[in-house]
Amino acid sequence: MSLEAGTLRPPFARSPSRVAIRRVASYEAGLADVIFETVQELGLDVRARSVLLKPNFVEPDPAGVIDTHPAVVSAARECFLRLGAREVRVGEGPGHERDTEAILETIRLRDFMGPLSGVFVDLNLDDVAPVSLRTRASNLKKVYLPKTVLRADFVVSMPKLKTHHWVGVTLSLKNMFGIVPGCCYGWPKNVLHWAGISRAILDINGTVRPDFSIVDGIVGMEGNGPIQGTPKPCGVLVMGDDPVAVDGTCARVMGLAPERIDYLRKAGTLLGQLASDKIIQVGESIASVRAPFAFLDGFRRLRAT
Amino acid sequence: MRLDQDSGRGSVSGITGFAASCCLPFLLAHQNPDGGWGYHPQAESSVEATGWALLALASAAHEPYFEVRMRGLRWLGQAQLPDGSWPPFAGQSAGCWVTSLACLALQVQDQCPAAVTRGLNWLVDAWPSEGSLGWQLRSRLLGASSIVRQDSSLRGWSWTPGTASWVEPTSYALIVFDCVAPQFRPAGAERRRRLAEAMLYDRMCPCGGWNSGNPQVYGVAGEPRVGTTAWALLALRNRAASAGKQCSLDWLQQAYGGIRGPASLSLAYLCLRAYSRPAAPLEPALWDLYERNQFLDSLLVFAWAAIALSDKLVLLASGERGEKGVGT
Repeated sequence: MSLEAGTLRPPFARSPSRVAIRRVASYEAGLADVIFETVQELGLDVRARSVLLKPNFVEPDPAGVIDTHPAVVSAARECFLRLGAREVRVGEGPGHERDTEAILETIRLRDFMGPLSGVFVDLNLDDVAPVSLRTRASNLKKVYLPKTVLRADFVVSMPKLKTHHWVGVTLSLKNMFGIVPGCCYGWPKNVLHWAGISRAILDINGTVRPDFSIVDGIVGMEGNGPIQGTPKPCGVLVMGDDPVAVDGTCARVMGLAPERIDYLRKAGTLLGQLASDKIIQVGESIASVRAPFAFLDGFRRLRAT
Repeated sequence: MRLDQDSGRGSVSGITGFAASCCLPFLLAHQNPDGGWGYHPQAESSVEATGWALLALASAAHEPYFEVRMRGLRWLGQAQLPDGSWPPFAGQSAGCWVTSLACLALQVQDQCPAAVTRGLNWLVDAWPSEGSLGWQLRSRLLGASSIVRQDSSLRGWSWTPGTASWVEPTSYALIVFDCVAPQFRPAGAERRRRLAEAMLYDRMCPCGGWNSGNPQVYGVAGEPRVGTTAWALLALRNRAASAGKQCSLDWLQQAYGGIRGPASLSLAYLCLRAYSRPAAPLEPALWDLYERNQFLDSLLVFAWAAIALSDKLVLLASGERGEKGVGT
């Protein structure tokens, strides 16, 4: 996990980031191979490391629109094990639903991944340790975080490509709210809302910056996301080791100007590359997969013109 | 920890087979050396897990558990903060929503009356932040009042200090105050209870039932959830009958057959029993779910299942009908 100081750097002190867009027709396609080839192409080394996959499991949604699809999570696990990871666990702390097992059973995670015991960790109910936040975008200053997250060598944020009715979009960075433990902060983790969602996103990611992102955009969600929106088939996986660049690319795929999204613009000053000329696209071009999303009225100003 | 379903069917002092053969052995096997329980085996003792473990053991009320319970109660007593509240984990400095559960665990077992009194006093003084001047300003600036439908003058309890009221912590607080006879409740408790009851109804989803506390956002009706609906209904069980309660019970009863998680299932069953509503037997469904994932080794699930299956229904003790004071 990236707690070292080097993760906080202005864009001019960073190399350009590479983001891969892969066209994937369905959840039945060879997802593990797609992810494996991409991780290899991006040159990541996870040998002998403990990997934590952090999907976005929000609600018991049998339709598969709200939550990261279990096929993608399972494929990522298979990929990182194939790449020599010491262990690959899946951890999530849903923000509203306390019955995490109800979510896992509804989306059939076990059917895709096998027995969950020893593999899945409910981050809401994990042991915790205090962590001083390394940025001061909000007034949080210190949070308790799950020891499973703090002990992981390599954290992979695996969001769904969705709109969000408070901050515009929810992608790799917003997905990290799920590491904040409900046992300390409740369901929802209201302290993050009171701190200002955008500012809290920056502080959480400034402290626990994901090492890799895999965005499930095979079927995304548009409209009144992240829960009550409608399915938006896009047929893509977006991946990279810079979560800001990945989220910026996703926003562009969704037809938005990422610089107009408050927390992404600020993240681009310290957490990663947001400017399109600092992002090297691998695989498909943005133009070839662009699929403008429907947004609530209040977010139309975010559209690319 | 895996248990053999066939060899485990039995009964221990008023509790049925699954609880006796699966839940209680899990709780007994995973008490920490310090007397508390963690959320999972080998996890650090937490106030919530310890509170629920103690309530589950109280449901069993089996004499051999006496020493186990006393060690747990001692741990709980020691975890209390000087201001009367409890933090999520011992050693943390700020009290929060688990204070209600700690008080409930102690009160149900008539233990540590002074600690319970201090906890209840803290709860009476623990106002959520909505409705405050700062909140009103913030709300106006963000335009939140036009996005979320709620009456912010109706306040219950928050998860953590300095944040807003939510259904579940409000329900826990109402349940614990209900366990204490009115004459033993702290001054101000009745006002808090009245406001909290009104707040729960205000936050009810349009079709009945509750989610965490957003009945309507951007004009779209919120979807209720099983767990929060069960807690809210349990909290309102001693209040007057109302159309809101009835339609929420109807919703829960309808949802019961489709519940996929053991925690939600146990809570729904407990709630429907409390209201004498019919529900399909809990045990077979719990066995099936246990076979699939072993409840992910979650202590809360084992504890809630034991409480739901017990004849004693410890959560439903009412101070209104008796003279039950704190620690009496």
